[in-house]
Amino acid sequence: MRRGTGVGAIKNKNLAQARYKDKGSVIAEDQFSQMTKQMDVFKKNLEEFAAKHKEDIRKDPQFRLQFQEMCASIGVDPLASSKGFWAEMLGVGDFYYELGVQIVEVCLATSHRNGGLISLEELRDRVVASRGRTSQDISYDDLLRAIKKLRILGNGFTVLTVGILQLVQSVPGELTMDHTNILQCAQKSGHVSKSQLHKELKWEAERAHRALDFLVKESMAWVDDQAGGERLYWFPSLFPAAAAS
Amino acid sequence: MADFEWPWQYKFPPFFTIQPNLETRKKQMEAWCSLVLTYQRHTKKYSLDVTEAQSSPLFHNKAISRKLSLDGIYTILDELKKRGHIEWQDKVRKQCLVMWRTPEEWGKVIYSWVSANGMNNTVCTFYELTEGDSTTNQEFHGMEKWLLLRALKTLEAQHKAAVMDEGVKFF
Repeated sequence: MRRGTGVGAIKNKNLAQARYKDKGSVIAEDQFSQMTKQMDVFKKNLEEFAAKHKEDIRKDPQFRLQFQEMCASIGVDPLASSKGFWAEMLGVGDFYYELGVQIVEVCLATSHRNGGLISLEELRDRVVASRGRTSQDISYDDLLRAIKKLRILGNGFTVLTVGILQLVQSVPGELTMDHTNILQCAQKSGHVSKSQLHKELKWEAERAHRALDFLVKESMAWVDDQAGGERLYWFPSLFPAAAAS
Repeated sequence: MADFEWPWQYKFPPFFTIQPNLETRKKQMEAWCSLVLTYQRHTKKYSLDVTEAQSSPLFHNKAISRKLSLDGIYTILDELKKRGHIEWQDKVRKQCLVMWRTPEEWGKVIYSWVSANGMNNTVCTFYELTEGDSTTNQEFHGMEKWLLLRALKTLEAQHKAAVMDEGVKFF
């Protein structure tokens, strides 16, 4: 009785497997070379486009935004490949990394007074000032992209949206909705009080107390006992004179 | 006082309330110490009277109706004392001497002026140094004698000067 377990059968089976494997790799190679070809064409076109508009991309923040959006729509992130042709062609990779470093510098330099909370507006003014007058214009979008990249370093950098204001937080402490609501209340005058929180947010005293305590503990708020009544909580990050200094 | 440049904190109301949070208070102290010293330097004052200081613009910003309490003033003066910038003149702590530069620093300033003017190995009177025509543009012009003596003593300790009755010889 043939059971197919003899030496010959095993050899046959091995042979067949080897053939399948060969065929498989031929097909894969084909596909690969085709894809490589397509990639080359794609890359060439992109390179041509990038080279043609290099100056615009570097100089014009509006154009840079559109270029970023175009790249995103075809699934390419020019920032992710700093070693690739993007960085070489445009220096875009470098541009955002450089910006990231400058953002970190500004946040560190100002954190002693604002507790690590800075408005996007002030951040932009300071970054632009630190880059010198001759360098290219920086848009809010550029800053937000660079900050996104900084997240690789941990959750130290976050952007909070408080009403119409965007704040960049450069300290690890987690801010809750309560805290951002307080910042929103303080936006106009630079300060809040417990009774204001009670009136505007309908908060119980305990809730206001806990949230304000946290902001004081994190050095984001300063207390003021000379307002002629209850204690006021001020935010250096929302105080215009501090931003101008 | 029109030309004195107040720091931004001076317009920030909570600056005049001593902060409960330690981290924040450290920054507040830092800013107050530097403000007191730059203010004294600007007004060329070598002493401070606590009672007078309470109503001085230094501790009272009328524009935002905030003033530092007496306790607050003492907190800052204690910190300045720790840093070697003030010295109490009486036990009840009403008067203090203020040195916006420490005697060592003053010694250096004076000695570099002496060297720059080729006055090594000559004798100067104290009057010449602090009131003479040749030092009118120097920071130590008008300096009080007690501080001048201390500064010169630090130079003496480094063998850069020999202090005499009413004058000093530089080496």
